[in-house]
Amino acid sequence: MTKGKKFITPYLYLLPTIILMCILLIVPIVMVIGYSFYDNVIINKNPVFVGLENYSKVLSDPVFFVAIKNTLFFVLISIVAHFLIGMLFAMLLNTRYLGVMTKGIFRVIYALPWMFTASVIAIVWRMMLNPNGVLNYLMTNMGLISEKVEWLASRDVALASVTLINIWSGYPFYMISILAGLQGISTDLYEASALDGANAVQTFFRITIPQLKPILISLLMLDFVWTLQQFALIWMTTGGGPVNATETISTYIYKQGFSKYQYSMASAGAVILLIVCTIIGIFYVRQQKAGD
Amino acid sequence: MIGKKKLWVQIIIIILLVIGTIWAGFPILWMILNSFKPNSEIFAWPPTWISENFSLDAYKAIFTNPEQVRFFINSYAISAIVVTVTLIIGILAAYAFSRFNFPGKGIINTIIVAVQAVPPITLLIPYMSLIVSLKLFNTYGALILTYMVFTLPYAILMLTGYFNTLPKDLDEAVMIDGGSRFKALWSVLVPPSVPGLVSVGMYTFMQAWNEYLFALALTKTNDMRTVPVGINLLMGQHAYEWNQMMAMSVLGSLPILFLFLFFQKYFIAGMTAGSVKN
Amino acid sequence: MKFKTVAKKILSAAVVGTMVLSLAACGGSGGGESSDDSKDEGGSEGGGDGVTLEFQQWWGVELPDGALADICQKFTDDTGIKIDLLSNPYADTKTQIASGAASGTMADVVGLDGSWVYDFAKQGSIANLTELMGGAGYDDSQLSSQIQVDGNTYMIPVVNFAYPMYANMDILKEAGIEELPTTRDEFLAACEAVSKNGVAGWAIPLSSESPSGIQNQFMTWLWASGGAMLKDGKPNLEGNAELEATVEFVKEMFDKGYIAAGANSMKEPDMVEEFTNGRVAFMTDGVSHLTTIKKEAPDLNFDYLTVPVVEGFSGTRGMDVANWGIGIAENCEHKDEAWQFVEYLMSPEVNAELAVLANAFPGNSKAEPDYSSSDELFVKAYELFQSCEAINEFTGAPTSEDLMRSFGEELQLYIDGDTASAADMLKAAQERWMPAFE
Repeated sequence: MTKGKKFITPYLYLLPTIILMCILLIVPIVMVIGYSFYDNVIINKNPVFVGLENYSKVLSDPVFFVAIKNTLFFVLISIVAHFLIGMLFAMLLNTRYLGVMTKGIFRVIYALPWMFTASVIAIVWRMMLNPNGVLNYLMTNMGLISEKVEWLASRDVALASVTLINIWSGYPFYMISILAGLQGISTDLYEASALDGANAVQTFFRITIPQLKPILISLLMLDFVWTLQQFALIWMTTGGGPVNATETISTYIYKQGFSKYQYSMASAGAVILLIVCTIIGIFYVRQQKAGD
Repeated sequence: MIGKKKLWVQIIIIILLVIGTIWAGFPILWMILNSFKPNSEIFAWPPTWISENFSLDAYKAIFTNPEQVRFFINSYAISAIVVTVTLIIGILAAYAFSRFNFPGKGIINTIIVAVQAVPPITLLIPYMSLIVSLKLFNTYGALILTYMVFTLPYAILMLTGYFNTLPKDLDEAVMIDGGSRFKALWSVLVPPSVPGLVSVGMYTFMQAWNEYLFALALTKTNDMRTVPVGINLLMGQHAYEWNQMMAMSVLGSLPILFLFLFFQKYFIAGMTAGSVKN
Repeated sequence: MKFKTVAKKILSAAVVGTMVLSLAACGGSGGGESSDDSKDEGGSEGGGDGVTLEFQQWWGVELPDGALADICQKFTDDTGIKIDLLSNPYADTKTQIASGAASGTMADVVGLDGSWVYDFAKQGSIANLTELMGGAGYDDSQLSSQIQVDGNTYMIPVVNFAYPMYANMDILKEAGIEELPTTRDEFLAACEAVSKNGVAGWAIPLSSESPSGIQNQFMTWLWASGGAMLKDGKPNLEGNAELEATVEFVKEMFDKGYIAAGANSMKEPDMVEEFTNGRVAFMTDGVSHLTTIKKEAPDLNFDYLTVPVVEGFSGTRGMDVANWGIGIAENCEHKDEAWQFVEYLMSPEVNAELAVLANAFPGNSKAEPDYSSSDELFVKAYELFQSCEAINEFTGAPTSEDLMRSFGEELQLYIDGDTASAADMLKAAQERWMPAFE
């Protein structure tokens, strides 16, 4: 095998991927980056180069800052809750107190939310969270609330409601991944820990968490990136409203593009988001490397 | 002492299981119940649980409408092709990442992670122009390629992790025996990776099955459309066919449920090896 | 050196990739019956006979099954021009037309909403109909209205939907209201009476996703009493006393708890569900809903009224009208045939037929729809409509949807008490509207 051939080999294996990504992903991304430097593209047949003007407009828009604040709340709460619920359910399904059958059944039940598309999830939750919906009915009957709550229509709770919906739809991915990870931890480690006289909590923090660390880091990063771009769920439940209460970066970009027809502004917003995600990507790769 | 402790733990576990079931299952139960109600009862107060006018009309309406059946056929065809091709391309790329060190590896890796983050909505306009100029508009091809672009990064990340867990001696042995790298990949690395492939395949299938925005924008005629678009087709300008939407949602998620049931062992085993580094 | 090699590889990869993709393209269109194929076939036959026009709209979803296809079939029988119907729900049609406009894939003939026209016309993606009408020697005096941008017509309303007020007679009766309100004060009194029975008086959908509630439910109050939100085509919100009074009026209803819960995330279909379920006494809504409501709640006892006006108003009442408009794509290759189709839909007989099917009023002033088999309530609504002046200032306005959304947000802020006064609220809304009109 010649040196040249050896040099090419990995690229040959990557060739289909590179072709596909270059044409269908890099090209549109480059186009979007290009749009962001021009004055109102698409609408304007002969757009003018305006440099960073779109960026300064986006960054000086107070709504954009509200969107960032909401996005951070949405993403961070979602991730933490995904993690906690996913971990809890995974531990629950991994205890030795349950039979194989029972575990199997509950595993499917707990994974259910994962199997629905965002528009379906949005429709179902809109139905349940309607002021005259089943949730208010149950909570009133149980005496938890005294009057009907406007879950999605009140500026105080709308963001929390939308986040709740996202938590519901996203935790199974964690649960399954963590469950998989738990089954990969050797029993020797637990036995050794038991011999040292560690209690369940200590074992959890000394053995389980460190062993799961690689999975957890991958999960958190992927989830961060996925939640950041969550659009359909928010759009179809609240449309970013009431006022700006649930406006996130993705709904902001959508409104700029498809409602105000300001594609350049939308593109500038998208590029900002892309930069953030690239930074996350770099961290991810670093972490992967460190793991090697 | 120990027996008592066990009982306590069991009670707590049972309570948690019940709470978990309500949390995870109630919205879905509500969806199923509503698919059996006439449209007028969906927002009744107090809500009806099992409707007195229980009917399968919503399901009947879907099955007797060839257009809606076509959505299911399209979704199956597109998802199946996407899964197959994504896996093949993903295996090749993951092999490169797992077994070689080459210039640009870090950069390509970073790009693969970062591009997952681009909100697809922002790419819609340039992407459409691109698909139109490739003469793929309103074809299966457009959707298949699109979903591959979305699912490939994740597939590569997971499969690379999986291959990393398999000792290098395995494929090197084949090559020492005079076999090609390509042969080593397919005959030695792929067979033990089946669980990983299944878990990536499931994820890919779900993405392709559930995607809505591009399925809507990249197709024009109803004979090219998929289930999620079909569900939205039931939302009129002024009135929604709630019960049919619910019925279609239930039907639309069944394939994924069955896949999960069949493959869950592999699936979970696959996730383990894919993410845990030795 | 290394980098150069990599660059070369990527370049050659891109070339190969294009080839692969074109192969995939063949596979893709071969796999499904793509419309491109049928279009090509149509083109090769040549002449007017083989032409196939794509007609994208949301009407097919709203009309009785197959009704639109039948109407188009008659056109094909007469002219040999085939019509490919692309029917999708309203919101999906909008996304498709908007993205089609940006990428040049708009269907030949498109259904349009008055609120989209300005943007598509400015974008150059819909054709100038004034030119086409001139070319075809069409007498446009029979059209009840034309939607123009910069003096040229881009959309023709095919049928019109009026937005009168619905009243649940049982709820009113129970609250002791005998007469339907005609003024805002009477309306408030009626709301007060029903609210004592725990029923909401009125509902307004203010969801940010589809902010049409500002047009169809809020501005209707202003328009009914002869007010206007524009002056010489420019926003006239700030210092507009009539509008200020309307804002105060709606705010009062919110403050007194007359408005159905969940307004800020409500969409029009949700509002209709509230009314159908008997939880709200009045709603301002399109007559097109009549059939749905009758079907879902056959026992619901309701009636129509015109939107109540300010005290002492004696002019002609305004009634909000929405329409199904039609336009032709700029990228359409058979504009003459497309115009022929538009002309067909606008011809008095076909137009009348469409109007009856859609529970709407015809866009051709010579059309004489036969509503004799329609619901008697519908006939009443038609009479109310004819006694009023049809108005909708959002039709043909720039970025209409965004105007509604920003106005809606300011309104919500005022209702929630974040803005000190209606005047301040209108000032803020004016500021947000101005850039679109520059």
